[in-house]
Amino acid sequence: MTELTGTANKKIDFKSRMVQTGRNIVKNKEKYLLILPGLIWYVIFAYIPIYGLTLAFKKFLAAEGIFGSPWIGLYNFENVFKDPAFLQSIITTLRINAGRLLFVFPFPIILALIINELRLGRFKKILQSIFTFPHFLSWVIVASVMINILGQNGLVNSLLGTLFETESIRFLGTPSYFQPLVYLTDIWKTAGWSAIIYMATISGIDVEQYEAAEIDGSTRLQRMRYITLPGLKPTIVVLFILAVGYLMSGGFEQIFNLSNPATIRVAEILDMYIYRITFRGSVDFSFSAAVALIRSVVNLVLLLTADRVIKAIDGTGLLA
Amino acid sequence: MLVAKKGRGFSRQRFELLDAVILIILLFFAAIIVIPFVSVVGMSIATQKETLESTLMLIPKHPTIDNYYRLFQDPRIAIGYKTTIYILLLGVPLNLFLTTSLAYGLVHTNYPGAKIVFYAILLTMLFNGGIVPLYILMLQLGLNNKIWSVILAYGVNTFYFIIMRTYMTTIPGSLIESAKIDGATELRILFRIVLPLAKPILATVLLFYAVDRWNEWFNAMILLRRQDLIPLQLVLRNIVIDSSIVDSMSIAGPRVPRFTEGIQSATIMVTMLPIMCFFPFLQKFFVKGIMIGAVKA
Repeated sequence: MTELTGTANKKIDFKSRMVQTGRNIVKNKEKYLLILPGLIWYVIFAYIPIYGLTLAFKKFLAAEGIFGSPWIGLYNFENVFKDPAFLQSIITTLRINAGRLLFVFPFPIILALIINELRLGRFKKILQSIFTFPHFLSWVIVASVMINILGQNGLVNSLLGTLFETESIRFLGTPSYFQPLVYLTDIWKTAGWSAIIYMATISGIDVEQYEAAEIDGSTRLQRMRYITLPGLKPTIVVLFILAVGYLMSGGFEQIFNLSNPATIRVAEILDMYIYRITFRGSVDFSFSAAVALIRSVVNLVLLLTADRVIKAIDGTGLLA
Repeated sequence: MLVAKKGRGFSRQRFELLDAVILIILLFFAAIIVIPFVSVVGMSIATQKETLESTLMLIPKHPTIDNYYRLFQDPRIAIGYKTTIYILLLGVPLNLFLTTSLAYGLVHTNYPGAKIVFYAILLTMLFNGGIVPLYILMLQLGLNNKIWSVILAYGVNTFYFIIMRTYMTTIPGSLIESAKIDGATELRILFRIVLPLAKPILATVLLFYAVDRWNEWFNAMILLRRQDLIPLQLVLRNIVIDSSIVDSMSIAGPRVPRFTEGIQSATIMVTMLPIMCFFPFLQKFFVKGIMIGAVKA
């Protein structure tokens, strides 16, 4: 008997909830109208391409398109892993981007710490403007500027020529210089901008901590080490996790514009490999989709792993 | 305020060695950023003869606009400007429309389905299809080689969407509630209350989108393969980077550049100049914008 009323109650409960949801929908109909255009955009230009990655398991037929092409299982992946250029591009990507974590990532932190210690207020603003400007230029422009100053008649070679009377160095055409070139130009373009996030965090650190430490007779370097740096830690952690998430995909625009046939051997990262096989050779969209799917999945796994590992060590993470 | 002033006076008394070191480091970094631009400006107004002969030339002795004159005879510059301005003028309003309406619609996620939509949008930051499916999609939509492909491919930047939404959540709910009681529609509230209050963030996002549109090249390289629809960035790429590739292949010996350094520098200048002109405005807003974003992250 009680059981019966229980289910009946549940039924009524469910029904009334449906009615309420219905009312809610009607009440908020304007909201739905507002989000509709953006939502349509996301469905067509973000989610259909995500679904399009299923081409990795299909044989792409132009007439059938993304949705109609027939499934062929793991055939494409077998081919992908048979291509030595694919494996090479993964190694190159990991090598370049791991180096980025090592050499480029700490730079904005150091820059923010140093700018923070600068005591000339107005001068500080001018310097910061200079540091952030390159961020707003595309990699096409930055690479062009670099080609200009590093070229045979460029500034750097004529400086070296005047000082040491060396022959002109092929900075852009020598494979062994390529990785340092990537890191230095990356710092040149992005350090000032990335430093802003750290500066914002520093400005949020409680001033009383500094005052107390000053009264206790600490030096500025000590305060930098024991107050500012720990205050920056949560921001550093978040940005580090994101950087790990980009290990497989970062840097296409930079490397595509800085590399040339002389350095391509050490420069072809995964995204450039995808570009080459898709748009520069015999087109096999299914093959490309298989590579792209591997890339996306590995990225996601890296991001989540970095997040979990840091959470285990430190207790703070990106995702709840 | 008083404390800050006191602090400054205090520190001015003790300009220590550390301050000098800091200043030198920062000036050095600033010089490394500025000097390449000076070099580009210098080369763009120098004669080819002076570029080749003089060592360490930053400011040429005989400035000339010859390089710019010759550059503008290349029809691609006009095509580049035209395409880029089209992309900018059609693209940015679309970006703002989509981003603003979506941000305001999702300020509160207390109605059915809103949370799912919000998280589905955030998910695209972690996982995306990439260029290959997008290219096929454009082929199937028949947008390939049309300017709309580039405009539509970049509709909402999820990061800017988050910044804008976060800003809108700071607008007091009581303002909106009282307007609703007075019988105002959502659209009216958006235009009369929310947007005027969100002006700083609108300006920030507008400028971000404008810069992104100006710098657009990758999607255009994939989706627009017509000689009469090249954006300015790709014109620059053709003139500077492709001709440098020819240089890097020729081993020593006399080299015959397809474009002189002067013309290459002039191309960099015409591509960069608008950003340089807008930079002071950008600067005014971006710190605010990225701070909101940083707080969220």
